[in-house]
Amino acid sequence: MAKERNPSDFLPLTPAMFHILLALADSERHGYDIMREVDERTDGSVKLGPGTLYGSIKRMLSDGLIEESDERPDPDMDDERRRYYRLSTFGHRVAVAEAERLAQLVKAARSKKLLSAHNV
Amino acid sequence: MRINEHVSSRIYTVLLNAYPSDFREEYGWLMAQAFRDRYRDEASRRHKSAIITYWFAVLCDLAVTATKEHGQNIRKGDHFMNNLRRDLVAVVGTVVIIIAAFALLSYGRSHEVASILVFGRILDAVVTTGVIGNLIVFLLLKLTKWNPLRVALWTFLIVHAVPAILLALVGSRLDPQFRLASTMLAYVVSLLFWIGLHWAWQSTRPEVASS
Repeated sequence: MAKERNPSDFLPLTPAMFHILLALADSERHGYDIMREVDERTDGSVKLGPGTLYGSIKRMLSDGLIEESDERPDPDMDDERRRYYRLSTFGHRVAVAEAERLAQLVKAARSKKLLSAHNV
Repeated sequence: MRINEHVSSRIYTVLLNAYPSDFREEYGWLMAQAFRDRYRDEASRRHKSAIITYWFAVLCDLAVTATKEHGQNIRKGDHFMNNLRRDLVAVVGTVVIIIAAFALLSYGRSHEVASILVFGRILDAVVTTGVIGNLIVFLLLKLTKWNPLRVALWTFLIVHAVPAILLALVGSRLDPQFRLASTMLAYVVSLLFWIGLHWAWQSTRPEVASS
């Protein structure tokens, strides 16, 4: 029987990997859709290049954090050669673990008065 | 605008050659697609300098990630490194064989060893066809994706047949002591030697042996 993997073994994630997991947390997306979501969510401060995006996707697929999806949200409107990705169950657990790790860091920063009340 | 997009896409597609071939085969088209989509967005939403900024970011991304992908493949001991190692062994092996042949030939001639006459002709053929044939095979295999054994077979057939036929036609006119039978024998032995060597070399490569 395969040994169950521990999400903490994958932490800390690279910023690009965490952004990709965040982008896939609410829906399946193709590569450029992930780039656009990250761009919009961070107000343009994080821009994933094609190499960073697909290099991270390659590693996340092999680690089982994300999966390729066969479904197309709207097959008529889309290029069928595009690949869609979704979060795997394990990828979701890793994303939660990374978010909790970052929350702990923020808590520590706040206790050291490095963050004001409105910088949540 | 469309022309710029097309040219930029073509340039980016060429630049994708910086990535390892397996990565490029898997994600090259998707990366080119993502590049085009973002280029279109940048061109439609912002002013011209945005394209320059975008290109700069893309080139930085490419330099960093291509190096990273190659680094990972090297750590895994990938095809590139294995092929490089094999090529080096093949080149060194060929050079050693040719030097040994030259040394033997030189010894036979300087000591006027009569029994080395036929052997000398064989070595002549082995060295001449080996230098030319291996160079052609090496270049063809680097520039094409043809079957290595087939390339070696046809190259050495041609490289042996051409001088053998020429010598058969004009050899006696050039050298009164020319012996057709021993010359032909020399080329046949040389052909078998080089094809045998390439066959043995290729059969040690698992991906070729299994195909």
